[in-house]
Amino acid sequence: MNNILEKELLKHGATIVGFAHVKVALRDEISHLERAVSIGVDRNLNEETIKLLSLLQKKTSAILKEKGCRYLSIPPDSDRVSTTFISKLYTLFTHKIAATSAGIGWIGRNGLLISPVYGPRLSLATVLTDAPLKVNTPIDSSMCGDCMLCVDFCPSGAITGKEWSRRDPFIELVMLNKCSSYKKSSRAVSGKPNCGLCINICPYGRRKVQATQTSQTARIA
Amino acid sequence: MATEERRKEILEALKNAVIQYDEDTAKKTASEALDEGLEANDAIFNGLVSGMEEVGRLFESQEYFVPELLMSADALYAGLDILKPHVKQMDLGVRGSVVIGTVEGDVHDIGKNIVKMMFDVAGFKVYDLGRDVPLDKFVEEQIRTDSDLVCLSAMMTTTMTGMKKVIDNLKAKNPNVKIMIGGAPVSQDIADKWGADGYAKDANNALKDAINMISSLKKLKEEAEAKKNK
Repeated sequence: MNNILEKELLKHGATIVGFAHVKVALRDEISHLERAVSIGVDRNLNEETIKLLSLLQKKTSAILKEKGCRYLSIPPDSDRVSTTFISKLYTLFTHKIAATSAGIGWIGRNGLLISPVYGPRLSLATVLTDAPLKVNTPIDSSMCGDCMLCVDFCPSGAITGKEWSRRDPFIELVMLNKCSSYKKSSRAVSGKPNCGLCINICPYGRRKVQATQTSQTARIA
Repeated sequence: MATEERRKEILEALKNAVIQYDEDTAKKTASEALDEGLEANDAIFNGLVSGMEEVGRLFESQEYFVPELLMSADALYAGLDILKPHVKQMDLGVRGSVVIGTVEGDVHDIGKNIVKMMFDVAGFKVYDLGRDVPLDKFVEEQIRTDSDLVCLSAMMTTTMTGMKKVIDNLKAKNPNVKIMIGGAPVSQDIADKWGADGYAKDANNALKDAINMISSLKKLKEEAEAKKNK
């Protein structure tokens, strides 16, 4: 079934698809859904992307349903309509657990999923299921190495610089209150809803044009 | 006007959309039902609600788990949203408005929302106060809306004592008001002792109770229609 799912998802615009065993991360209500299909697309999380991800989730659940398997689609974080019944369950699971368990990437110092190929630039969605999928090898520790770019560039000083590993999941990587209060005040000044410097600065998966721009800024700084 | 055969087909499709927790089909079929001249009431009770009754059974026999139950409820609402504006007021002999909410300090509201849905389906006017509702608000809202029924929900032992206060206040202000309480820590004993008129143990039971309630409403409706036709 892995092949069918992967082929279908890549055909419809997924950048990367991974399969994970996630039982340890599940709460009672959904503990029977042991496997996760982690779907990433190499795009900013805007409305188009959300549409694409929700299409990909529908494709996934249609295939699973046809095979008589149970599933639960967890939509992208910013697309969580809270008026539905099922949305109560979304908070029980995070996409990053699925993505790291599926070997798509690790959690960087900036608290984001970093893929070795696409960096922190993947937008994620997850479908949990009880289908007996073959799973990928998880990534259990950070590959950020000595890189501290996001720590140095964060305008709010929110990134602590600590390293993620699956054995120690509760280390505070980003001080969320600092990050969000900075975003709030800068939004009031600039009108831009998000900061995103820790995404742009990450050398993993950085595109050429962006790379030259940021290295220039780095020199100036 | 759709033929009897076509009517059955559409009702079956609505039912299956709920059972199959297929929101898109529920919406599509609900629109079809209206286009082809089915009564909205018919489509709701003999289509969507029949589906939810089956889901209740599947849930009880543990073929469906919580996610399936919730997705089915969402599919039902998707269809209901389309059909509701076309519902003719049902004459059931009961006047239907209800105040519902989860008491102060408590933020668990899945059970409450499922019960609310059933009232919605039944054509009640629902005043949903949401969760973590200050105790006085229940009384105020009952008086403001002159509702006949107040439903209180609590999922924690620490918050359920608030329900007793609400019941006392309500009964003092308006002895005729009916009160239903529900939630994990509540028991029939407590309901009796505190003077509540109805009781539902948890979301599972609330759903069952609510479905029973709808079924009996359905019966009332049929009886009312039978009387009219005589």
